[in-house]
Amino acid sequence: MDDPRGDMERHESPPSLWPVGAIGAALVAVCGFLWARDVVRGGRATTVATAPPLEEGRAPGAPPIPADKGEAAMPEPAPGERFPRNVFLENATLGLGAIIGGVVTLPVIGFAVMPAFLKQHSHEVDLGPISNFQEGQYVVATFLREPSQGEVSRRTAFIRNNGLLHGKPSFTCISNRCAHLGCPVQPGGPTFDDKSKTVKTPSGQVSLIPSLPAAGFICPCHGGTYDQEGNRIAGPPVRGLDRFEFWIRNGNLILGNTYSVAQVTGTGANAEIKRYTLTGPGQHVDGIESWLYPLQPPH
Amino acid sequence: MARRKSDRMQQIERMALYPLDWLEERSGLIGGVRYFLFRKVPGDTSWWHTLGSATLTAFLVQLATGVILAMYYKPDVNSAHESVQHITNDVWAGWLVRGMHRWGASVFIILMFMHMGRVFLFGAYKYPRELNWIVGVLLLATGLFEGLTGYLLPYDQTAYWATVVAININGTAPFVGPFLASLLRGGAEIGPDTLARFYSLHMLLVPGALLGLIGLHLYLVVRLGVSSPPWSPEAAGGQPEPEPPPARSGLVQPRPRAGVRGRPE
Amino acid sequence: MSALDDRRAGFQRYKADVKSRGKPFYPYAMFHDTVMSLVVVVVIVLLAVVWKYGLFGNHVLGTVLGDKADPGTHSFVPRPDWYFYFLFYLLRIFKWPESVILATVGIPTICLILLLVLPFFDLRMERRISRRPVAVVAAALTIVAMGTLTYKGATAQEAIASEVKAAIPSWEKKQGFEGNQEAIAGANLFAESGCTNCHTYLGTGSSNLGAPDLSAEGAKNKGIQFQISHLECPSCVNPGSPMPSFKDLGKDNLHKLATFLEASKGG
Repeated sequence: MDDPRGDMERHESPPSLWPVGAIGAALVAVCGFLWARDVVRGGRATTVATAPPLEEGRAPGAPPIPADKGEAAMPEPAPGERFPRNVFLENATLGLGAIIGGVVTLPVIGFAVMPAFLKQHSHEVDLGPISNFQEGQYVVATFLREPSQGEVSRRTAFIRNNGLLHGKPSFTCISNRCAHLGCPVQPGGPTFDDKSKTVKTPSGQVSLIPSLPAAGFICPCHGGTYDQEGNRIAGPPVRGLDRFEFWIRNGNLILGNTYSVAQVTGTGANAEIKRYTLTGPGQHVDGIESWLYPLQPPH
Repeated sequence: MARRKSDRMQQIERMALYPLDWLEERSGLIGGVRYFLFRKVPGDTSWWHTLGSATLTAFLVQLATGVILAMYYKPDVNSAHESVQHITNDVWAGWLVRGMHRWGASVFIILMFMHMGRVFLFGAYKYPRELNWIVGVLLLATGLFEGLTGYLLPYDQTAYWATVVAININGTAPFVGPFLASLLRGGAEIGPDTLARFYSLHMLLVPGALLGLIGLHLYLVVRLGVSSPPWSPEAAGGQPEPEPPPARSGLVQPRPRAGVRGRPE
Repeated sequence: MSALDDRRAGFQRYKADVKSRGKPFYPYAMFHDTVMSLVVVVVIVLLAVVWKYGLFGNHVLGTVLGDKADPGTHSFVPRPDWYFYFLFYLLRIFKWPESVILATVGIPTICLILLLVLPFFDLRMERRISRRPVAVVAAALTIVAMGTLTYKGATAQEAIASEVKAAIPSWEKKQGFEGNQEAIAGANLFAESGCTNCHTYLGTGSSNLGAPDLSAEGAKNKGIQFQISHLECPSCVNPGSPMPSFKDLGKDNLHKLATFLEASKGG
C-alpha cells in the first residue's frame, strides 16, 4: 500500500490564498476609511441623539437589588429625567431583536416539532405463506413493523384464517395494543409455545405461535376484556381493538397499515367493519365523546 | 475577643481578606452572599422550615449524579439497556450513583409533596407569597414530568410499557391530546427517536426549567422573608414585642452576642 | 380595598416582628437546614445500597434492572414509578369507557388547577391552624386519598402468565391436589387463559372488574357441572357478570378447569 499521505498530496491542489487577501483588503479599506473620517472630523462629535436609551428595564422607583454594601455602578435616573430618545432606533432595536429571535428559534422549534406530524410512510409486513395459518385458529404473530428500525418496531398481532370469502382468503388481523391505554393484551386462553414456528420472510423473521383465545383477549393492566373479534365486552377500553389491513401477494399474507374500529358486527369472514383512521388508545372514535378528538395527526 | 490586635495581625488579616475585597469592589457578590446569610428570619422558625432546603439538597444530588450518569449512558434503543447494565455492573461505584439518582428522584418528589403540605398547613401561601406558591406548584408539575421522562431511560420492560401508558394518558386530553402524544413520541409510534427525545428532555430542557423556577422560588423567599409558623404571636396578629424574650443559651434562642446578631462589623 | 390594606398591614407587622425578634439565617436556621440535608443524603445513599444488596436478603426495593424492552411482548404488565401509583390505581377504579378521560386527564388537571388558584380563593389572612378548619379537613382528606390510592397501587398484583405458572407447584401443596393430573392441567389452563388478569388466587393475580378471589372456590361445593356451565356462559348463571365465555376451550379443557376450581378448598 502506498503511504496515504503521499496519496492525498498527489490529489489535492494547494488552497488558494486569494479569498483571504481579498477579505483582508476589504477590511483594511473599511477601517482605514473610518479612521480617516475620525481624524478629519477631530474625533467623535457629540452624538447625544443616537445614544441608546439607558436602563429601560427597571422601572423608576423599584427598589434596588438588596446588597449589603454594594453600590450600583450606574446612577439611577432622577425622577422625571428623560433622555432624548429616537423612535426609529427603538423600533429598529426591537425589530432586529425579533428577527434574530425568529431566525434562531423558528427552525429549531420546527425541527423539534415537525417530524412528529409529518405523514408517515405506509407499512408493509410480509408474514409468509398463508398455509402456515390453519383455518379457524388464532396465531400470535410477532414481527418487525419497520425492519430498518430494528427491535424497537417489533409488534404483535392476533391473526386468524377465516377460510374463503367469495373465493378469496379472509383473515382477521387484530393488533394487541389495548384500546384503553396501549398495554399489550393477552389471549384469553392457552398459547401453544411448543407448536410455534419461525418463518423467514422478506420482512425478516416472523414468529407464529398458535393460540386458543377462548375468552377473547384480556388486558392485564386495567382489566379490559375483548371478545374474539376484538369487540370490547368489559372494562375501561373505549372501543374495540385496532386492526391491520391485509392482502395476499404470491401466496403470502401481507399486513398493511393499522386502522381503528369502534365495534365489529358479525364474526370471522362475515364481519362488518367500519374503519376509522388510526386513533390513539383511550380516544373514542364514535359517539358523542369522539367530538373531543376532532383532529388526528397523520399516521 | 481581643479588642486590640497587633499591627502585624491586622496586616495579615488584610492580606488574607484582600481577594474578597477585590471581588466585592468589582462585583458586589460578597455583599450579596452576606445579605443572604445574615438576613433575619423569624425567631421561631423550626424543623418544619427545613423541608424546602432538604428538597433543594435532593435536587442537587440529582444534578450531580445525573451529570455523571450521562457520561456513561448511551441514549440509543439498541445500546441503552446494555449501557445501564454496564453502569450497574462494571463501572466503579456505578450501582451507587445510579441507585442514588433513582432513589434521589423519589426522595425529591416526596420532599416536594411534604414541603407543599407544610406550606399549606402553615398558610404560608397567603399574601404576599401567592406568586411563590404558584412557582412551587409549577415546580411540582415540572418535577413529576422530570420523573416521567427519566423512567424510560433504563429501557427495560417496565420502563418501556409504563412510558407507553404515560404517553397514551397524555393522548386522551381533549383536542390537543393526539398531538401531544405525537410530540412526545416524535412520531406516530414509539420509534428510535423517542428515547433520544426523552433523554434530551430529561437532562436538558426540564432540568433547565427546574433550575430557573428554583432560582425564582429562592429569590422570592429571600425577598419576602421566611414566613413565621402559625403558632407565632405574629400570626395571631399580636404586635411585635419591643425586646426579645429572655435570652437563653442554645440554638433556637441564642444568647445575644456582639458581632453575631446582625451583621458582623 | 380595606381587605388588601389589612393584608398589607399584616405583612408590615411580620417585617417589624422579624426585625425585633428575628435571628440571622446563618448559622441558626441554616444549622437545622444542614442537619436535614445530611439526613436526606444519608437516606438516599441507604436506599441505593438497599436497592443493590437488599434488606435481610429480600430485594424490597425491586429489581435493579429488568429485561430489555420488548415492544412486541404479549405477556407483560407495566407499572409506573411509585409516585404515580395514585394515578395508576385511579385508572383501575374508572373502569367504564365513558369515564376514562376523567382518570387520565380530568382529575389530575382539576387538582393542578385547584392548587394553582388556591392563593386566590383563600384570601383570609388567618394562618392559625385551629382557625382554619376547612383547610385542615381538605388537607387531611387529600393526604388520606393520596395515601390510600398509593397504597392500593403499591399492593396491586400483576399477573404475568409465566410467573403464575411457576406458582402452580405451591398451589398443589397448599390445596392438596398433588397427583390429581386433571386438576394440575386445569391449574395450567387457569394460569395461561388470563383468568388471573381479573381474579386473584392464593395471592397471585390482579384484582380487576370486581372479580372474586378463587382460592376457596371449591369450598362452596357447587359441583363440576355448575363450574362448567358457568365457564361456558358466566352471564347466564350470574346475570350482569362481565366475565367472558370460555366455551371455545372445549369440553375437555373446561372439565380440567372445573376440576381445578373444585379442588381449590382455600389452602
